[in-house]
Amino acid sequence: MGSIERKQGTFRYTEYNGGESHALLGRKRGQISFLASTGKRKGRYEHNGRVFLPSKFQGDGGNVEMRDVLQDPSVRYTPYAMRRKSREDQIRRTVWKDGKPQNKEVRQHTDEMLGSWFKVTIPCGRKSDKTQLMKSVHSLCSMPFTAVDFHCDKHRIRFFVQDVSTACALKDVSYKMYDEDSQKIPVFVNPSDVPYSVLNRFTGEQMEQLKLALRKRYDVSQRALNLQKLHSDPDLVHHGIDMILTRRSCMAATLQIIQEDFPELLSLNLSNNKLIRLDSLFDVVEKAPQVKILNLSTNQLRTAWELEKMKGLKLKELWLEGNPMCSTFSDNSAYVRAVLDCFPELTHLDGRKLPLSSVMDIEEPQLMKPCKESFKGSEAIKNQLQQFLQEYYLIYDYGERQGLLRVYHDQACFSLTIPFNPSDPDLSGLCEYFKDDIDMKNPKEFYLQRQLLKYTKQDIVDFLRALPKTLHVLSSFQVDMCFQTDTMLCFSVSGLFKEVEGSSQGYIRGFMRTFIATLDRKSSNLCIVNDQLFLRNPSPDEIQGAFAVPLSTSCSTFKPVLSQEQQRMVWDFSNQSGMKLEWSQKCLEDNKWDYTKAAEVFTMLQTESKIPKEFFRQMT
Amino acid sequence: MKKYSDWSRGDKHYGRSGYSSREPHTSYRYQKSQTREEVLTPALKEHAISSSPMAMAVDFKTHVDQACRAAEEFVNIYYETMDKRRHAIIRLYLDKATLIWNGNVVTGLEALAHFFEMLPSSEFQINMLDCQPVHEQATQSQTTVLVVTSGAVKFDGNKQHFFNQNFLLTAHSTPTSTVWKIASDCFRFQDWANI
Repeated sequence: MGSIERKQGTFRYTEYNGGESHALLGRKRGQISFLASTGKRKGRYEHNGRVFLPSKFQGDGGNVEMRDVLQDPSVRYTPYAMRRKSREDQIRRTVWKDGKPQNKEVRQHTDEMLGSWFKVTIPCGRKSDKTQLMKSVHSLCSMPFTAVDFHCDKHRIRFFVQDVSTACALKDVSYKMYDEDSQKIPVFVNPSDVPYSVLNRFTGEQMEQLKLALRKRYDVSQRALNLQKLHSDPDLVHHGIDMILTRRSCMAATLQIIQEDFPELLSLNLSNNKLIRLDSLFDVVEKAPQVKILNLSTNQLRTAWELEKMKGLKLKELWLEGNPMCSTFSDNSAYVRAVLDCFPELTHLDGRKLPLSSVMDIEEPQLMKPCKESFKGSEAIKNQLQQFLQEYYLIYDYGERQGLLRVYHDQACFSLTIPFNPSDPDLSGLCEYFKDDIDMKNPKEFYLQRQLLKYTKQDIVDFLRALPKTLHVLSSFQVDMCFQTDTMLCFSVSGLFKEVEGSSQGYIRGFMRTFIATLDRKSSNLCIVNDQLFLRNPSPDEIQGAFAVPLSTSCSTFKPVLSQEQQRMVWDFSNQSGMKLEWSQKCLEDNKWDYTKAAEVFTMLQTESKIPKEFFRQMT
Repeated sequence: MKKYSDWSRGDKHYGRSGYSSREPHTSYRYQKSQTREEVLTPALKEHAISSSPMAMAVDFKTHVDQACRAAEEFVNIYYETMDKRRHAIIRLYLDKATLIWNGNVVTGLEALAHFFEMLPSSEFQINMLDCQPVHEQATQSQTTVLVVTSGAVKFDGNKQHFFNQNFLLTAHSTPTSTVWKIASDCFRFQDWANI
């Protein structure tokens, strides 16, 4: 037994099936690799403390290693990538942009604040949805970041981020997004001075005062915060706090308090605050996501375009009157339309209920309508499949399952999986399927997931024979042809069956079975190489649907035209005559399902040697 | 998405629904995984051919193990990408891959890209997962793994559906690693007829 290769750093080898470490033996051509497994299998890639380089060096459609990556010396030069060191390297001298003398508060800020700041600029088209774009950036970026002092105008987005690694991560997002013209969008990241709002951050004391003032304005029952005319609030004025909400620092402080103290905020009134732009409110989507009522009346908003910045909010009521933007519209309906564009779920604008028709224009994302057919191959293949399945399940249900030996390949593989749901007692019935393999008393081993894997046709058929007797409901079958080539077919069947014996007699079960079979073109024989079965308990709807609707009108691609009785006849006839099932069926059909008559006709034709050899089953 | 992440551990119960959902921000701890858009494994190695039936069975089990690891890793990435980075899902498909979505056939990268774009945002929860290595006779020696999954999905604006899905994954080797891509994908709601 060879040892496991440990080329790629430390990892722990988890035992599978409680077995010991496996030798590196393989199938004939060793096609499947031995995958090094990491100890913690949390279902997500765990960063084990290694340097994980940004995806710069991967080129387009990057291949990313799953395992810990060693530094690749051929990485393209990236100024920030190597230097994830302490911030001391990056401290810059801050220059006060507006030339004001330094405020005392600023000096009290820690080094952290004065640390490296970077300005991120994303040029984009006029029509692009800025909120959407920001969302994309957040999701594409490998690190979480807070966009400080967000600003956008028609052609670009600009914000600041605080440290080097975030800046790098953002740089990586460059050219990964597409605008409406399918052009790639660059992201420019440059070192910069400390952003305004951080610079002019409120002191702790000021924040406290602000908090108190805001709390007074908060109506708990309505979850409403009234920030009307905040600059002339007597408390704030008394303490010398200039709450001019057009200033970013003020707005940022307000939003911070909202996020901390009133996270469930429903209604926000910002009227009469001389707001010119809504950039500083961009964060409100994140900090007060539940806001549904927003009052922006009597401010200085000039264009409806400002509203785009708040698109992330799912507003129900909005007030905009008293803003210069209202007069920019040709008529009221244009105004309403523009607003609805941004907030499709709006029901009230400026206090007036919006007529239903405009509200109903919401485009619900549509799922493609399911359809039953998925056969894109020829009719011949389709028929072949039908025949195959009919025959398979005939043998499975009525005949000796031993007969299935002839449809499986020597080295076929079969697996059975059942979900384990402790709260579902019915599933315990499915334990029948595992009785030989699992020690049921020991809960640790009782995980019904891919526990059964049978290899070679003998094992498979032996196992299938041991399964409880079933009756498959052919009318419930749904067949999907997943993949086909000249030599193979991959198809899946799902449907219901009834257990006809054993402790679960009468139970209806659901199954999904995926087959991969090789196709012998000449003899049109299908030979199963892979067989995967899922069992589950069907929903009551499914059961009702399958049994209530009579045969051909049901939603099934599978056309079982035979009744149970007829199926049995076909089976018997086939056994007695030696003819393939389809021909037995034909013979019976031709003779109007009169068994004896059909038998006579058959014998007659047989003695006259009029029946072609292909009609007969191969004897294996 | 809610993950069945426990099922990889040999001694745990699968398909538990006690998995708490993560808030968007906490998932950033695992951000590293998000930049992965392809599924890679170390390069395939040549294995000694064994002959006795016993060894063959062990062989086979090993192969199944290996296949399952690739499958599990793949499934993780696939559903996460579907939920969180839909635009990147297309990278997991082969150029000529086919998707059969509730009976609707979608072939080729372009059509697939369009399809995934139009598909509303999703939240997947996987309850069952199984995989098998596909016999080489069926695949003309192209290493293939059959992966079958089942679970629940909620698309934005629609109710939750249970679904079954199966994939055929093929391996493409380079000297240093192996890339797994989807050659075929068949997805169906369990209650598709009632929509």
